[in-house]
Amino acid sequence: MMRAWPVIAAMFLALGGLSAVAGYEMALPRAAAWREIAWPFPRDGWPAGRAFRCGAAECGTEVEAYLRPKLGFCNCDSGVADDDEVDRVADVDMIGPRFVPLGAGDVVDVADMPGRIRVYRLDGSRTAIGIAVSHRCDLMAVAAQGRGDAARVQRVTLRFLASQEVRTWMAAAMEGR
Amino acid sequence: MRMGGRVTAVCCTFLVVLLANAASAQQKVGDPPEASNMRLIGTNDLQARSAYQPTIHHQGDRWIAYIGHHGGTDDIPDPVNPMTGKPEPNGTSIVDVTDPAHPRYLRHIPGQEGKYESGGAQMVRICDGKDLPKGDRNAVYMLRTFGSEAHEIWNVADPANPVLITRIAGLKDTHKNFWECSTGIAYLVSGAPDWRTRRMTQIYDLSDPAHPLKIRDFGLPGQQPGATGAVPTELHGPISTGPKGNRVYFGYGTNKGGFLQIVDRDKLLSGPKEPTPDNLTFPEIARMPLSAMNGAHTVFPMPDMPIAEFARDKDGKTRDIVMIVDEAIQNECGEARQMVWFADVTTEARPMVISSYTVPEASGGFCERGGRFGSHSSNESMAPVYYKKLAFIAFFNAGVRALDIRDPYHPREIGYFIPSITAATDKRCVTIDGKERCKVAIQTNNVETDERGYIYAVDRANTGLHILELTGAARAVAGLP
Repeated sequence: MMRAWPVIAAMFLALGGLSAVAGYEMALPRAAAWREIAWPFPRDGWPAGRAFRCGAAECGTEVEAYLRPKLGFCNCDSGVADDDEVDRVADVDMIGPRFVPLGAGDVVDVADMPGRIRVYRLDGSRTAIGIAVSHRCDLMAVAAQGRGDAARVQRVTLRFLASQEVRTWMAAAMEGR
Repeated sequence: MRMGGRVTAVCCTFLVVLLANAASAQQKVGDPPEASNMRLIGTNDLQARSAYQPTIHHQGDRWIAYIGHHGGTDDIPDPVNPMTGKPEPNGTSIVDVTDPAHPRYLRHIPGQEGKYESGGAQMVRICDGKDLPKGDRNAVYMLRTFGSEAHEIWNVADPANPVLITRIAGLKDTHKNFWECSTGIAYLVSGAPDWRTRRMTQIYDLSDPAHPLKIRDFGLPGQQPGATGAVPTELHGPISTGPKGNRVYFGYGTNKGGFLQIVDRDKLLSGPKEPTPDNLTFPEIARMPLSAMNGAHTVFPMPDMPIAEFARDKDGKTRDIVMIVDEAIQNECGEARQMVWFADVTTEARPMVISSYTVPEASGGFCERGGRFGSHSSNESMAPVYYKKLAFIAFFNAGVRALDIRDPYHPREIGYFIPSITAATDKRCVTIDGKERCKVAIQTNNVETDERGYIYAVDRANTGLHILELTGAARAVAGLP
């Protein structure tokens, strides 16, 4: 019986180590892992927003996110009503005009603003996330892109959007909401 | 020391002048209207309802104004109709303007419950039954939107007692329709539930208003059901030149990423109807993109305009012109300037913008006045009194602007009228440093003319209807006595 203790202890240590590794791999990056990059798109009807990149080392895959307010662009009463609206307004078309939804979207809350999120397949192996959330008549559009697992791209993007830095900026960008 | 005192005095004087100028730009209740070569004839408060499209109809020996309304406001969602004593959602005002100095409010038809752009009954067009191929000769038909959910046709032969005839419902949005009275073909700006855009075109045969016949759905490729990828800008409104002109001009985009689309009417009506990309492209002659910063609220065709400057040229003496009017959306200049553009579409496949017009901001300190500053819409009457000579532009807090467009390569403002605000004029707000700051200013939203030459301006901020006439040099341009 006494001789079993080292084995049990070793097993616990091994399991603990494995959990730690798995936990590290599953852990989502903090906002600090993202660095701001230049707005990569040409001028269109809206002023440029802010663009951020998270490297593969921090996010498991390289992800870029593009955030910009579109003031006065939302139905003041119904907000972001459906997936078609996400297709139209979330700026995924700036990444590539031929995007195909992977399925129906879902409701989402970003910086205390309600809206919808939808996942798309872009050309090749890229995945895009489109998010449109609104406050009164104003819209915050978010598009993100990355390679590989769509769920992971969505997770790291939403984690980034939940950071205090982003929430503070979004509130200011939506004119002090 | 004396030099420093002088500099201080000059700076203070400059500051005082600047502040005084900014303060004077702000309208106050009781201030007179601002005008040049235009004069106020009569007003009606339209029950303090936010107004959109006015359509003036010569009905027997009377002149009747049908005026569409946006939804109510946060403060007053359903204004009380003094004729019934009941609160009613904004809908359609019917006003007898036979005597323009004393307009007489006849009836309010309630619209869809809802505030601002979400309710009301914004759009209205009128056709006489005797003009429609299968209409009741004694009827006068009013096509109106019912908020975002339906189009309706009413018989307004007795404008004080309208009767509902037909309803086309089940939509997710509506807007600025066009109806050809000689054929009954209607281009209904609709949100078909399965389309990927809020606003596209549903074409109906309304020659017999009691029995609407759907012809087809139309829009830009990418907007149709089942499409993927980028969705082109939504429609704002079309204007058809009918069977004779065989063109329909569609304006897309409102205030961003706009297009002027020129469409062959015959191909549109008789071409393949399934909304595939090929079928949607089939009737298109040309699509002219505007700047990403501008959209097309109104696209007003003026074919075959003689251009005096080109009179001795061997070719190109007359030009086909389309006036494109953007819509300003943001309060207090919070966006790129929305204005008026003239496009020469003589060579239809290669339309080209040739000139533009805007109100000089500094002429009235309009960015400081409150509310929207910029263009919204033009008159759409093609009556000879003004057609191809003068255009009237609703410019929100800069009122109505009269343009001499006889040379569309060089449009020239020849008059304006900025109505006074009243106690009913609603505030317009912006958020600054997290706090809402509101101002009250006129918001001239839409404008129309009648065959007599009267100009009808209506206010988005609940100030009502202003009936105007030209004076001085502007009157002479129109050839009015």
